[in-house]
Amino acid sequence: MSVLEMKNIHKSFGSLEVLKGIDLTVEKGEVVAVIGPSGGGKSTLLRCATTLETIDKGEIIIGGDILVTTKDDKAVYCDKKMLQEVRSKFGLVFQGFNLFPHFSVRRNITEALIHVHKKSKEDADQICDQLLTKMGMLDKADSYPCNLSGGQQQRVGIARALATNPDIIFFDEPTSALDPELTAGILKVIRDLAEEKMTMVIVTHEMSFARDVADRIIFMDGGVIVEQGHAKDIINNPKSERTKSFLAGY
Amino acid sequence: MDKLISILTQLGSGFLTSIALFFLTLIFSIPLGLLVAKGRMSKNIVISSLVRFYISVMRGTPLMLQLLLVYFGPYYLFNINLRNLKLGPIDYRNIAAVIGFSLNYAAYFGEIFRSGIQSMSKGQYEAATVLGFSKTQTYFRIILPQVVKRVLPAVTNEIITLVKDTSLAQAISVIEMFTVAKQISAAQASVIPLFVAGVFYYVFNGLVEIVMNRIEKKMNYYQ
Repeated sequence: MSVLEMKNIHKSFGSLEVLKGIDLTVEKGEVVAVIGPSGGGKSTLLRCATTLETIDKGEIIIGGDILVTTKDDKAVYCDKKMLQEVRSKFGLVFQGFNLFPHFSVRRNITEALIHVHKKSKEDADQICDQLLTKMGMLDKADSYPCNLSGGQQQRVGIARALATNPDIIFFDEPTSALDPELTAGILKVIRDLAEEKMTMVIVTHEMSFARDVADRIIFMDGGVIVEQGHAKDIINNPKSERTKSFLAGY
Repeated sequence: MDKLISILTQLGSGFLTSIALFFLTLIFSIPLGLLVAKGRMSKNIVISSLVRFYISVMRGTPLMLQLLLVYFGPYYLFNINLRNLKLGPIDYRNIAAVIGFSLNYAAYFGEIFRSGIQSMSKGQYEAATVLGFSKTQTYFRIILPQVVKRVLPAVTNEIITLVKDTSLAQAISVIEMFTVAKQISAAQASVIPLFVAGVFYYVFNGLVEIVMNRIEKKMNYYQ
């Protein structure tokens, strides 16, 4: 069963066409890494899938819910209620963490559970404790983001995205704001999630990580998917010249 | 000594009027300021232009003139006589003062709030959006609490100015402290009442500073 279906996605910013008909399907339990040069459309693709950008044309289905379809060559989005439903199906981990600085770690994780998903405070706290234990951060539950290292902040970011038990998690360059040591810690967390068969789409510049953890790698450039395939094949034996020259830089 | 006590008691009643004017202005102008900020940032060009014009008039003309306009305007412009209007012990000149001050301060507060709201990173909105928070929830739970912390020093400035500005209500003969001080000063041919009034303002602003510092400290639990 596919958790994410994106068909023929078109997106322009003014006259600049950023996505030129992308197709991407992600199966349950699959880990897909999206690589490619900056400006190639990776982040935009992720932002379209996570409702932060609207597409001009195409179709997106997440967890069986239709976010957007196309009628008469124009994207038609679902209503507000459905939009909320779709948003509960995925989690997003940001490059810059985007934690809420005025909330404690606990509240960062439980706020949406309580006020969006209408869970009781006890249930929310229990979910929070489980996630923080998993992240090795239970002792930081009452800390504020400003008192945490970047790596710890990103763990909270991941815990926050996991809290609502989504069908799929998107990562937008989750380690780009971290030094190599902290990066390793975050990559381990993602690796563990992959072993638990969490469905994930990861935009990343960590090639060896993508090779080791992803089932499939997608190489994007110029608003199109240039090449995709089994992770090891793409990294070790890229077919297209563009992919080869990109990977040669690593 | 007796003279001083008499000055103090006379000033006291004026002081109460000043304080009432001060608090009522805050109560009305802060929420109104939030609306002004929202209107100024509106994507609707008609609303944002109107609010922009409102702000420029409120900031570009003397507060004293605005008070006169609120007080005399209804009669001279629309032939509506409100000057005999009374709400208990409060007559229209007091109401006009509160309206005038609130409208004026809302413009200043509006711009302060706008600066705070616009300083928030896009990421905060995006995180709230993908977590499923509604626009209202995002505004009141995520954005506004952070904005309050950011604008507090500027708001303190404005509040301190307001304490002193209440003396402008004398333009429409509101019997606030400064009006009283001038009257006593003229009657006694002495500057002491004016001096005492000065001390009142200074002490009151000292209290404002203490309270605002406390609030600022309380919000210092995060950076």
